[in-house]
Amino acid sequence: MAASLRPAILRHIRLPVRSQGQPVLPSWLSSIRAMSGHGDDHLTREEVVDRVLDVVKSFPKVNPSKVTAEVHFQKDLGLDSLDVVEIVMALEEEFKLEIPDKEADKIDSCPLAIEYIANHPMAG
Amino acid sequence: MSLSTVGYLARRAAQKERVRILYRRALRDTLNWAVHRHLFYQDASDLRERFEANKNVEDLDTIDHLIADAEAQYEKWRHPDPYIVPWAPGGTKFTRNPPPPSGIEIVYDYGKEENE
Repeated sequence: MAASLRPAILRHIRLPVRSQGQPVLPSWLSSIRAMSGHGDDHLTREEVVDRVLDVVKSFPKVNPSKVTAEVHFQKDLGLDSLDVVEIVMALEEEFKLEIPDKEADKIDSCPLAIEYIANHPMAG
Repeated sequence: MSLSTVGYLARRAAQKERVRILYRRALRDTLNWAVHRHLFYQDASDLRERFEANKNVEDLDTIDHLIADAEAQYEKWRHPDPYIVPWAPGGTKFTRNPPPPSGIEIVYDYGKEENE
């Protein structure tokens, strides 16, 4: 009798779990990145602008004081076409991207670069 | 603007694009061949000098020959196992651990929700 009653009771009893305020997750758990880097960490636009400008400013042939977010590489900064290629390569390395050749060739100014990187799902 | 000028400009633009893309590929390949960064900087500067050497060539056919030569050299010295960004096709993470399909949700509290 008691042996059959025991599982029946245990199946229906619910003890309330007392939680102490916050859910008890170890603090290191929240700082861990998801294992999959597939587009789950999106950059904010401000961050993209900051990092693009940093890269352009640190290019040796560029006068850093002239660099703004609206600048055109060849017209405003006095670079030639090969310098632009180098800047785009530097941007790709900064954001861990691989831009197809034809598309990278179209990027010739800061607004275009920022637009392209901010809209790229894999930019990191 | 006469027809020949238009033709000249179009051909010039095509050549410039070829040079830019060639320089881009060659620069990337230089990075692939360089074992360390500090070796890459010297190699990149050498590469740039080789491009700069023919900067002022005016004759269209000569330019075409130079570009064809350079492209042949690039093809000859291409790296057999270039670096590919992990998510890109051929990269180490390509199609690995893809995100779950939309509409499927993973609950991470391991059955605790039963007791809430």
